[in-house]
Amino acid sequence: MTHAKLNRELHIKYWQRCLNSLLPTGYTTTDSTRMSLGYFILSALDILSAPPLPSAQRTQIRNWILCCQHPSGGFCGSPNHKFPDAYYGDGKEEMDPANLPATLFALMSLGFVGRMEEVKRVKCLRWLKSLQRDDGSFGELVRQGRIEGGRDMRYCFVAVSVRWLLRGYIKIDSVEDIDIEALVAHIRAGQTFDGGVSESSQHEAHAGYTYCAIACLSLLGRLPHSSGAQTDSEISPGLTNISGTIRWLVSRQLQYHNEDDNSDDEGPGFEQSQNTGICANTEPPLESLLINENMFVGFNGRVNKRADTCYAFWVVASLSMIGEVELVDPEPMRRFLTELTQHQIGGFGKCPGNPPDIYHSYLGLAALATLGEADLKQFDATLCISVEQRQRLEILGEEALTSRNYTCFSREE
Amino acid sequence: MGKYEGDPAWDDVVPIPQDDGEGALAQIAYADEYAEAMGYLRAIVAAKEHSSRVLDLTVEIISMNPAHYTVWLYRASTIFALDHPIQQEIEWVNEVALDNEKNYQIWHHRQLLIDHLYPSISSDPVALQKLANSEIAFLTLMFNSDSKNYHVWSYRQYLVRKLNLFNASEIKSIEALLKVDVRNNSAWSHRFFIVFSNPEYATPGSAATAYDPGIPDALLDCEIEFSKAAIFEAPQNQSPWNYLRGVLRKGGRPLATQECFASEFAKIESEEEVKSSHALDFLADLWNEEGETEKADKALKLLGDKYDPIRKNYWEWRRKALKAA
Ligand SMILES: [Zn+2]
Repeated sequence: MTHAKLNRELHIKYWQRCLNSLLPTGYTTTDSTRMSLGYFILSALDILSAPPLPSAQRTQIRNWILCCQHPSGGFCGSPNHKFPDAYYGDGKEEMDPANLPATLFALMSLGFVGRMEEVKRVKCLRWLKSLQRDDGSFGELVRQGRIEGGRDMRYCFVAVSVRWLLRGYIKIDSVEDIDIEALVAHIRAGQTFDGGVSESSQHEAHAGYTYCAIACLSLLGRLPHSSGAQTDSEISPGLTNISGTIRWLVSRQLQYHNEDDNSDDEGPGFEQSQNTGICANTEPPLESLLINENMFVGFNGRVNKRADTCYAFWVVASLSMIGEVELVDPEPMRRFLTELTQHQIGGFGKCPGNPPDIYHSYLGLAALATLGEADLKQFDATLCISVEQRQRLEILGEEALTSRNYTCFSREE
Repeated sequence: MGKYEGDPAWDDVVPIPQDDGEGALAQIAYADEYAEAMGYLRAIVAAKEHSSRVLDLTVEIISMNPAHYTVWLYRASTIFALDHPIQQEIEWVNEVALDNEKNYQIWHHRQLLIDHLYPSISSDPVALQKLANSEIAFLTLMFNSDSKNYHVWSYRQYLVRKLNLFNASEIKSIEALLKVDVRNNSAWSHRFFIVFSNPEYATPGSAATAYDPGIPDALLDCEIEFSKAAIFEAPQNQSPWNYLRGVLRKGGRPLATQECFASEFAKIESEEEVKSSHALDFLADLWNEEGETEKADKALKLLGDKYDPIRKNYWEWRRKALKAA
């Protein structure tokens, strides 16, 4: 039996390549979310305790992030989503509006190379407030007075994280806070009959949305205790069916049989997504589920889907925030990630045999770090960064509040 | 010379280039065509131009970056400003959707188109029916290549609400998908939505996890039978077990009403007769509800030791909770 191991040096090399060389043209389809790629790169190097960046490079990166800041508050996904500064003014601010996820990733990235003082806090928080709908949900941008984007849990989580980073709950400069009760009500309404969370209770439960809902509640201090005990009866807990949610989360684990893998997306190789026919007799006998010491356990994001690297993080992190991470046996998951999706050039692929990509390479590390991987920094599942970086962000956020420039930006302009 | 730079039709436009600057983060090797087209788009947007050449330009950018959210929004406002035929746009969107299955923006765009079209046909039942038919036909095509496409299902739910499709033909099309793959959890979830959110009888705002007194008994019976038949077909399939639990909760019926049924798939007295770990889980909850904790404990122990060992920690945790209660 080979011993499952994370190859730290190889991962550092992979991420340094992502940082220092041009991403291939194929990444053009991620141009609109380029800021998130930047955050994954900087944070991965942090989790891996890679050598620090030269200060000239830090300055360049900081300047690039700030050049994506929108004059009306918030950030754009890449310079391609923004006009050169000279074009703004006289009502043109809405030509290419700021984007909510891009704003979170910009602020998080800035935490690695700069300070929060450089952010237009008041404008950003006012803009954030303008993204919230009456039903409590958030859109991703506002354009000509219209809130655009889905109502899913991702934007809820992102909005609350931005509020946390900028200390939006502290009342200064008469910025009105977002409507927390409406937001929690929206999250409560997104819980599905089978215990997961979706964009609404009428859609299919999804591990990514479940994570976003739980992380959002965690930042708001609105997670119920897993035993069901209520601490404060005045406040409605954010999850309506905690035991159902735990059952749904642990059910995302599935045993992976290496030998009969093939590349067909929903094909054999996975116990629970094996059958595309209707005959019961094509099911594996239940006894074949018996445990063995070389077992690989992956995670899927929805019932009866195939295992995918990123869902290891979304599920394990969700359980960790609820305080029940030990319900997952770490070794079989480590084996799945380190032996099957870890790539020989570093990084992780989506599924066994896939080439690495930035998104799955980051979430593979995040999953291992959440379970306490020795070679990685201690990890904060809620913000999906190292504990050390979370502490740094808290300090930067507090420091910035004492800076006149940061808190009074709108009055000076 | 770039494509637009050398095109007389674009002579009057001065592109607005954007510079990434030195040492940018996550630099992408943009194709020259992309950088050039983006420069022209910025110029067009700054001038608030809505014209047919804008439509051509957005087609080109979308072909290189279909996830570009503002280019879609600008295209939509141009279409509305020009009174461009919606049907023609939908046909184009169909092609793009089939080529970009993972893309979300296409479905948001389609929703804007339908929202725009709807008021003009809302009092014409024939036109509404025609629209419903053509939309459902296209979604069926999408489901042929991926019957679990999340964005397509989101759009389907929007359509059901918009055109009030809580009807027998919607149920039929779900059943057709389940016939092909009884493990299609997206189809199961959609069925739950169609059955339990039907405004004809469902209590408005009733949570998916809550009892709803508005649901007719006959309907509950029918859904219970439907999930049972699917379980007989594939006892180790999670989806119908979850569905059955969901139906019972909606109807306010105890799990114990299904003890006989669940026992068909798991007998704790004779271990070799366990055909489904989900049946054991169901029985464990049922016995716990009925105060038969010893039987519940035995079912959970069997799950951890033998029938679902990859979740052993979870089953042991459930056993502990039983004893603490
Ligand atoms: Zn993934």
